[in-house]
Amino acid sequence: MPLQSISQRWQQWVNRRIPRTDAQQFQQRNIFILPTGMGLIFGALLVVMLLTGINYQNSLVYLLTFVLGVVFVAAMHQTHSNLAGLKLTLVQAGEGHVGDRIPFVFRGAADDSDAIAVKLMLGDSTVTRHHVMAHETTDMVLMAEGQRRGYLLPDRIRVETRFPFGLLKAWSWLRPASAAIVYPRPITPPDWSRMTADDGEASESAAKIAGQDQAELRPWRPGDLSQRVQWKRFARSGEMVIADWEGEQGHPGWLDFEAFPGVDVEMRLSYLTAQVLERAKSTEAFGLRLPSTTIEPDSGVAHTAACLRALAVHGLTAPVGQSPESTP
Amino acid sequence: MKRLARSRHRRQEPGPQPPVPGPALLWLIAGFWVLLTPQWDRLPLWLLATCVVLAGWRWLSQVGRVRLPGLGVKSLIMVALIATYGITVNGHFTVDTAASFFVIAVALKWLETRSERDYYVLFFILVYLSTVNFLFEQGILWTLVNLGGVLLLLIGLQVLNAPDLPHALRQGWRRLGGMFLKSLPVVVLLFLFFPRLEPLWSVPLVTGTARTGISDTMAPGDISSLAQSSERAFRVSFGSELPPSDQRYWRGLILDRFDGDRWSQWQPTPQRAPGRVLADGGVGELGPDEYDVLMDPSGRRWAFSLENSRAVSDNVIAGDWGLFRFRRPADTPVRYRLAMADPKPDQQPLTELQKRRFLQLPTTGNPRARAFAGELRRQTRSSQELIDRLLMRFRDQPYFYTLRPPAMPVNGVDTLLFEAMRGFCAHYAGATTFVLRAAGIPARVVVGYQGGQAGAGGDYLIVRQYDAHAWVEAWLPDSGWIRLDPTAAIAPSRIQSGLRDAVAAEGSFLENSWTSPQRYGDVALIQWASLQLDKLNYQWQRWVVGYQGQTQMNLMSRLPGNISLTDLGYLTAGLVALVLLLIGGVTAWRQRRLLARDPVARLVARWRRDIGRAGIGLQDGQTPFQVADAVARHSPQAGAIARDFARTVNNHYYGGHDTDAHNGSRQTLMRLKRLLQSQKQALKLSG
Repeated sequence: MPLQSISQRWQQWVNRRIPRTDAQQFQQRNIFILPTGMGLIFGALLVVMLLTGINYQNSLVYLLTFVLGVVFVAAMHQTHSNLAGLKLTLVQAGEGHVGDRIPFVFRGAADDSDAIAVKLMLGDSTVTRHHVMAHETTDMVLMAEGQRRGYLLPDRIRVETRFPFGLLKAWSWLRPASAAIVYPRPITPPDWSRMTADDGEASESAAKIAGQDQAELRPWRPGDLSQRVQWKRFARSGEMVIADWEGEQGHPGWLDFEAFPGVDVEMRLSYLTAQVLERAKSTEAFGLRLPSTTIEPDSGVAHTAACLRALAVHGLTAPVGQSPESTP
Repeated sequence: MKRLARSRHRRQEPGPQPPVPGPALLWLIAGFWVLLTPQWDRLPLWLLATCVVLAGWRWLSQVGRVRLPGLGVKSLIMVALIATYGITVNGHFTVDTAASFFVIAVALKWLETRSERDYYVLFFILVYLSTVNFLFEQGILWTLVNLGGVLLLLIGLQVLNAPDLPHALRQGWRRLGGMFLKSLPVVVLLFLFFPRLEPLWSVPLVTGTARTGISDTMAPGDISSLAQSSERAFRVSFGSELPPSDQRYWRGLILDRFDGDRWSQWQPTPQRAPGRVLADGGVGELGPDEYDVLMDPSGRRWAFSLENSRAVSDNVIAGDWGLFRFRRPADTPVRYRLAMADPKPDQQPLTELQKRRFLQLPTTGNPRARAFAGELRRQTRSSQELIDRLLMRFRDQPYFYTLRPPAMPVNGVDTLLFEAMRGFCAHYAGATTFVLRAAGIPARVVVGYQGGQAGAGGDYLIVRQYDAHAWVEAWLPDSGWIRLDPTAAIAPSRIQSGLRDAVAAEGSFLENSWTSPQRYGDVALIQWASLQLDKLNYQWQRWVVGYQGQTQMNLMSRLPGNISLTDLGYLTAGLVALVLLLIGGVTAWRQRRLLARDPVARLVARWRRDIGRAGIGLQDGQTPFQVADAVARHSPQAGAIARDFARTVNNHYYGGHDTDAHNGSRQTLMRLKRLLQSQKQALKLSG
């Protein structure tokens, strides 16, 4: 019990020290540094070496011990200054469906000193080591699991470096203020053709179009669905590329929250999500009616994203950390 | 079966542990090789070969040529290695065998280097290997090799931690170099001030290697085989001038029992359990009559000294007949200090027992020599005259000093004196002692070194194994023990300028040691280089390697204040604390300077200060917009300006991709300054 309260206090202390913000400059006041497990073993080795030097009255063993001891201290300085001066900014909190991996894009900018082998960590998900050389910027993408519909706001993203020797780790946290949006999991409603203004033919033709039409590749833009990101290509080149399907103009239609009487709210949202996605395959205009908001019929990527966002945050309020500047 | 092994192998693979990147592994292997070199003459050949093969195997598996062995093969290799080790060691456990076991462990670990953790384990083992190396080799070159090996390991760690870093190599070296340079003063201070404690528990350093050097028995051929070695025996610094060549008789031990074949000690030097030899003896400036001997490890207890010396340092004990002994066999280099005393003739008559001892001869053998001794006795009136006559005979008759004497198995003294007339110093010393004893003069063989080469700068002597020498001391009633050297009578050049010149005509000097630089003593450049290196090593040994308890206390006693060992402890702790503080200070100062150089950051700090003065509570770490909101809650008008300010700041930092657009930033600065002014007024109005 006391252990828990200590850890709680520690968390609070850290949270006070590191406020929620999308841009964090790492410096002395928010960097923590401790030896790693290997560093502790190294310390033990130094003690053993010192004992060897004492027992064999060997000056050179003393010398070697001192050299390595001082290197350890110098490494402490190095590791610390490696992280210090780095500025990490959450450039984009991504969007995706429940169960998807949702990208958070960070931009690291280094000052006069390099920031080498910096790792971002969020739970089990880790960004491989990135180097931000002096006066340069590097983008890093961290994937977070979208578990629940709504806002996804990681409490802390750990930023860690063990460079140069891995004997010490310097770390800090970024507590982002901007949340990612997690769309509901799309579930195709059992017999939805009757309940919408459209009939099956349209969707068939839409499917046909989707199958036939050629995809047009373009860079990722805010609001794009993470499903449409060419992840294979991302893994290969690190570029986020979106495949756009060209289709022909369709008929306007309404997707309505009230169209599924007696169904649970979450299920309705899932149904609607599936429908929005289905409609988005074609270019026909559609609108979305939710109890809280109505989105006028339109088509296109931005419209689809707006619909999905509305579905995602339906009935939810923005998380506490959401800072004013991200919702202008 | 194979598939089974593979599947097991896969299961062993730790999931989250990343594999070791190739370049990092290469550095580790390189470090291993460098750290293995100081062990080259101590390790058995099969072990060295195994190290090559196993490290090579690991590397080949890294580049994908072969697979690392499975559990079965690995166990097989392990069992085979340990069995071979067991057979070669055969129950003799010394530090040497412990060191080779250590190397076996490293070699086996190469097959087990799959993850980062394994890499670190190897790193730690190799760092300790360098420590072990220092126990055996302390020369300056070996020190550099050892430190170089550790450097390679540290580079490897850097590569391991950032394998894909561009220019990793150059940067890694530069980083390490900078680190070493910056930390050098601290290392030096620590080295000087860290208190040298007494050993916490006794750890004998027993090595199994046979060392060259004189032994406590002497058959005629023994010293001539020693003359083939150019290994260093010891080095001597004198408080005043180097003594002349014919005074450089370094007495080691006295052989006074002859069994017809070999000379040996009447009372063998008592064996002592191996233990630590006090390695530092004598501190401070050398007095004019003092000299300081730095002896290479001999594994023996005897110390070498000039005639009429007395002990100054307390790590040597004076024995009988002006000889000196260590308390333990010298396993490590030992430094001791002696002083020349006034020659005071040993006037005390020999006791009956001593007379018997120094007149002892085997009952039979060498009849001609005995007859010759009797004849000499009859022809001369005093012992002194007899000795002169004997030496005259050596001078006048065609006796030869040679490193290639004929074999003299039976009646060796007779053969040497009357037939072969060719021999080395041991032959002549033995024969002379024999004749003197047969003539009734107490005599003994003294073994040690004679001569020595002046080191670079001419301020110290280097005595090598080929300077090993045997001569005679005879007891005369009115002058005590006197030295006589038949070799000096036969080959004066041996005493005046050393063995090289004495056997120059024969060409037998170091004829089997091709690699010894002393062999090429007539090549000026080699000679110069070898002497310079020796001097460097000598200084290194004396001042760095030999920086031990007494030396340290001596140095400390010159500093103001009476510094004790405990004070040194505090001093060191203080030093470490100071360095840590300094590093922290430098880090903080850098941060501040960085902030100071960023004009926008400075303006933001001013902005926040203004707002704070207006009585608006702010928290550390609030973003500009959060601050602006706080201002807006206080005064909407100032809040609008603050928002503008915050937006400008954010645009400056996160805005465009133009990283160094100077114009843009100047405009930003102007704009921010303007906003600051107007906000100040707005705040004043509202407050």
